[in-house]
Amino acid sequence: MTTTAEITRRCLALYEDLDFASVRAWKAAAPGRKVVGYMPVYVPREIVHAAGMLPVGILGGGDGLEVIHGDAYYQSYICRIPRSTIELGVTGRVDFLDGMLFPSTCDVIRNLSGMWKIMFPKAYVRYFDVPQNYVDAIGGSYYAHELAELREGLERLGEVRITDDALRASIAIYNENRRFVQAVYDLRAREPWRAPATEVYLLMRAGMVLPVEEHSALLREYLDAAAREERPRRDNARVVVTGAFCEQPPLNLIKSIELSGCYVVDDDFMLVSRWLQGDVPLDGDPLEQLALAFLHRSVSTAMRYEPTQAEKGRFLIDSVRRTGAEGVVFAAPSFCDPALLERPMLHSALQRAGIPFTSFKYAENAGQMQPIREQAGTFADSIKLWSAP
Amino acid sequence: MIITAGIDVGAGAVKAVLFGFEGGETRLLGKRTDRIRQRDPYALAGESYDRLLAEAGLTRGDVAYCATTGEGESLEFHTGHFYSMTTHGRGALHLDPEARAVLDVGALHGRAIRVDERGKVLAYRMTSQCASGSGQFLENIARYLGVAQDEIGALSVTATAPEKVSGICAVLAETDVINMVSRGVSPPDILRGIHQSMATRLAKLLKAIGTDEGVVLLTGGLALDTGLVAALNDALAGEKLALVARSHPDSIYAGAMGAALWGRFRHDRLRRAEAAAMSAPA
Repeated sequence: MTTTAEITRRCLALYEDLDFASVRAWKAAAPGRKVVGYMPVYVPREIVHAAGMLPVGILGGGDGLEVIHGDAYYQSYICRIPRSTIELGVTGRVDFLDGMLFPSTCDVIRNLSGMWKIMFPKAYVRYFDVPQNYVDAIGGSYYAHELAELREGLERLGEVRITDDALRASIAIYNENRRFVQAVYDLRAREPWRAPATEVYLLMRAGMVLPVEEHSALLREYLDAAAREERPRRDNARVVVTGAFCEQPPLNLIKSIELSGCYVVDDDFMLVSRWLQGDVPLDGDPLEQLALAFLHRSVSTAMRYEPTQAEKGRFLIDSVRRTGAEGVVFAAPSFCDPALLERPMLHSALQRAGIPFTSFKYAENAGQMQPIREQAGTFADSIKLWSAP
Repeated sequence: MIITAGIDVGAGAVKAVLFGFEGGETRLLGKRTDRIRQRDPYALAGESYDRLLAEAGLTRGDVAYCATTGEGESLEFHTGHFYSMTTHGRGALHLDPEARAVLDVGALHGRAIRVDERGKVLAYRMTSQCASGSGQFLENIARYLGVAQDEIGALSVTATAPEKVSGICAVLAETDVINMVSRGVSPPDILRGIHQSMATRLAKLLKAIGTDEGVVLLTGGLALDTGLVAALNDALAGEKLALVARSHPDSIYAGAMGAALWGRFRHDRLRRAEAAAMSAPA
């Protein structure tokens, strides 16, 4: 029987491998295989999968990559993920990518898509836009058109036809993956000592590079192992971590939050794996179903336009209530416009709801964790000792 | 009787205490300090805890809540962890109910903490990263001078002409001391000079947290250094602060005690929450 420690070790090896050996092995296993990269926060991986290609999350270089070339492309007041992504590109670490998708996360990622086009002219590069209007006939129609264009682009890249049946089959496979992902998150919210935040993080990171079927199997193994293993239960404060949806925090930061006396019961790391809430229906036009799911059953985050101001923060507050969290930790990358501009609105919403919070910034290569430990530790103490019983 | 433990893993020593709570009374059941001396602090903390329990005729299973503080968050057997300022604040209040500020002076850092009458931390400042305000620095100097650690305070208070030592940088301060030794300055005058340098920095920390009157309790590894206490009272007077700095024989255990006391608080709160959950309609 596989243990959580064994699964975590495997995921850690995948996380630390900035040469993406597992992806290269997948590509080399059969002739003509194609790999399409994507950046945070969300792309419909189902369409890439339906084309027989491997979607791979490119989440920057983390704290394991020295950025030399990347700094020449961006001003000093720009976050780190585009620099380290450029570094991955120019050093050949992601030379297996046949295509790259840049979601409309922010201006920086949008500009990166143009730079990628110039730097890697042979690759299929697409800036993937999303609707800011949630009326089916307007935003829905627009988004379905975007999805159709993506489908056509991938068909050209792979010289394949992506049929509706293939799309439905891929949606079903991702539905299953979303259910497993949700089951891991539910387990952690219920019994966080069984699924530490660092393990859950690494487990979800593995889903950025593994084929979805393999990732689902890994999640199932982890759930079985976590249910079997007895682990000490700590008296920790239960917190939701938010703001880290694009540039990822270093693993040590997540570890530090937990070590300082917090159980992370929900987060917004790698939202792509749970952007769509619940199953996407398998009947009807599959692109239309993906579009409707985006419009009406997707998570709320800074990159998703919220037309009703009163609704801002509701998703976060719901997450706090649903998971029984006692506070919120805002952890956002330095210079992240979406996260940092949304933060005051979320602060106000939490204040109105009487939910305590603390805020800090990080960079993906941050090494000094003492201030984070201090802040998270004192926040946990304030919840445990001074919040209403 | 409800028993809680507090384990403070510091940079230089592991401090552990046991408290028993019965009928509204709080009793200290045991305490021990183990110097780390290049050993694995986590293994030592486990051994120290087990020895303390054995001395009190108890086992780990008898402890309702084992709380850690300092660097103890990685100990596998702990129930909960509290940050150092939280535990030193609470521990100081237990040792000296009049204290409204705490100076925790340990091997690596000095911290000033302002607390209210419940032990709630109201403000906090810490020395910068340089080690010249720390116990480790003082220990190094004592070694150069051939003075035992427990003699430092007694020698310092006998100084007649203290020499000024750099308060900015440990390297500069050590150079100052070497020069003093070669000039024939007496160990008491050197030690007093160091104490004054440290005291000046600590007084500034107290000022920075907005404490200007009342009792300041020294905690941490240097709390029983009488020379430092004396120099600190001089420095407070120099800063025109109506503060009295004092120590307690158990000051070194303030962090561990605070952890154990907060452990008791959390134990009760968790039991109440469990009872409420059990009685809530399904």
